[in-house]
Amino acid sequence: MRARKRLIITFLFPATFLYLVFFLYPAIRAFYYSFFDWSGFSYEAKFIGLDNYRELIRDDLFIESLKNTLTIVFVGGVIVFGLAFALTILLNSGIKGRKLFRAIIFLPNVVAVIALTTMWSVAIYHPRFGILKNGLAYLGFESLSRTLWTSPENIFESMLAAIIWMNVGFYVVLLMAGIDKIPHELYEAARIDGANELQMFYRITVPLLWDVITVGIVLWSISALKIFEFPFAFSALEPSPNTYTIAVYLYVMGFGQRTPIYRLGYATAMGVALVLTVVVVVVVLRRVLRREVIQY
Amino acid sequence: MATTAHTRPWTLSRRTQGRLLRFVRQIPGYLVLLAWCGFTVFAIGWIAMSSFKTNRQLFQEPLKLPPQLRFENYSTAWNAVDMGRYFLNSVIVVSVSVFLILAISAPAAYVLSRVKFRGSNTITTLFTAGMGIPYPLLFIPLFALMLNLQLDNTLPGLIVVYVSLSLPFTVYILTGFFITLPSELEDAAVIDGCSDYQVYWRVMLPLASPGLLTAAIFNFIGLWNEYQLALVFANTDKTRTLSLGLYALRNALQYTGDWASLFAGIVIIMLPTVAIYIILSERMISGITMGSLK
Repeated sequence: MRARKRLIITFLFPATFLYLVFFLYPAIRAFYYSFFDWSGFSYEAKFIGLDNYRELIRDDLFIESLKNTLTIVFVGGVIVFGLAFALTILLNSGIKGRKLFRAIIFLPNVVAVIALTTMWSVAIYHPRFGILKNGLAYLGFESLSRTLWTSPENIFESMLAAIIWMNVGFYVVLLMAGIDKIPHELYEAARIDGANELQMFYRITVPLLWDVITVGIVLWSISALKIFEFPFAFSALEPSPNTYTIAVYLYVMGFGQRTPIYRLGYATAMGVALVLTVVVVVVVLRRVLRREVIQY
Repeated sequence: MATTAHTRPWTLSRRTQGRLLRFVRQIPGYLVLLAWCGFTVFAIGWIAMSSFKTNRQLFQEPLKLPPQLRFENYSTAWNAVDMGRYFLNSVIVVSVSVFLILAISAPAAYVLSRVKFRGSNTITTLFTAGMGIPYPLLFIPLFALMLNLQLDNTLPGLIVVYVSLSLPFTVYILTGFFITLPSELEDAAVIDGCSDYQVYWRVMLPLASPGLLTAAIFNFIGLWNEYQLALVFANTDKTRTLSLGLYALRNALQYTGDWASLFAGIVIIMLPTVAIYIILSERMISGITMGSLK
């Protein structure tokens, strides 16, 4: 028994220690820092209570960042799941080359985000040699091809399209795995009873896939709420304020772009606001998406 | 069925007809999938193609193949910023981190999934909670901590961050693997006189090797591509990783307008993970779903 106890401790200690010290402790510490005015790591921090939070709700750029983030989560989410569902249905319609198509749709998930964001902002959206410009011109859409995709008024939508393209593959893979688990007999029985494809989709696939859909929506919401890399590196030199998300604005406030800013307490308050948003969105989604689980 | 086809030939033609009809109905589906996949392949292929062009060719004939393979852009990309060092930094940080992540997560996952003891559930929940914490929350408090430990902007510091933050997910994945292993083998090994450590090393770990490989691939790809933590914890001339190097390259080439060399930089960073993906795509795809559908 004592040997067993020693095994448990030696096996668990390294992981638990690192996790507590370098992950959980700083995460909790963040709540504490958010009550301070702290203008640099070597400076003394001054307790200011809730002032950082009061400033936050009056900060136009923060509100804009919050709005951008929520647009990515909800508008982006609807499109991501719509496309993922459509592609999944097509991939499951008995076509040839299913695995190859799926592998290509999933491909962006294994490429560095920094490479993808550069690919979109330069290779695809460039106003002169860009793929989109030349592709549209080649297809005869002359006026559309002259659109400046990364100009301040278009940049957010252009970025959103890229983010959607990048993420659809993961959810296609997720949905397909869920569908593979549904017993074939159900579809065969439905077909014998005269159900068409659409009826089978709404009456069998969606209800039996509900768990997977819920997991997918929650995963998407969490990852989209904390999105940082894609908007941060979408513009060269420094992120454009039109594409700020909470995480990007937090970084800018904490570390600055080209010149340091170091509003450490204020930036940390944004981190706390981000966590609270994650909690609220996840709780609400779980409520809304709760259905009776169907056993099969 | 076969006899029906023999005696009544028209059923065969009807079957062929059915197949044809089915194919015709599938055409829109094929077109959509081909459009989506074609776009992805074309965009990446276009970048690879353009990385061999001169900037003049890029601007004048953006859709044409390069007349010859020039590797000059690759040497420009490699030398415009200290790409050689960044590449080496990435190799060191990622390989050491992946090794440590597995060496630390596997025993923890083993104990949490196969040994019954008080507090086991609490610790599991604690680790799971880590998967919901967004990294940006840690930027400042963790940086302050690293600064105190004098590990800020160092490669060992970045490794500590990578390892610690990857633990929850890896423990989660590996716990899922260990749980599925049959307990008969464990019992047999104990009867044969194996100590608990030997059971782990000689029996359970080899059995869990597919899980370890999956976890290794995930962590390798995730960390090789990682950007935001490296940006906060190791963004100096000496400690940049390849992701940061690519952004630095982009900013450096922004002024000279040398886009073709930027594309060479993109190819350099994409090549290792895409190569692994081409070999292991099925395993990675099944691993992903296994991880998130538990």
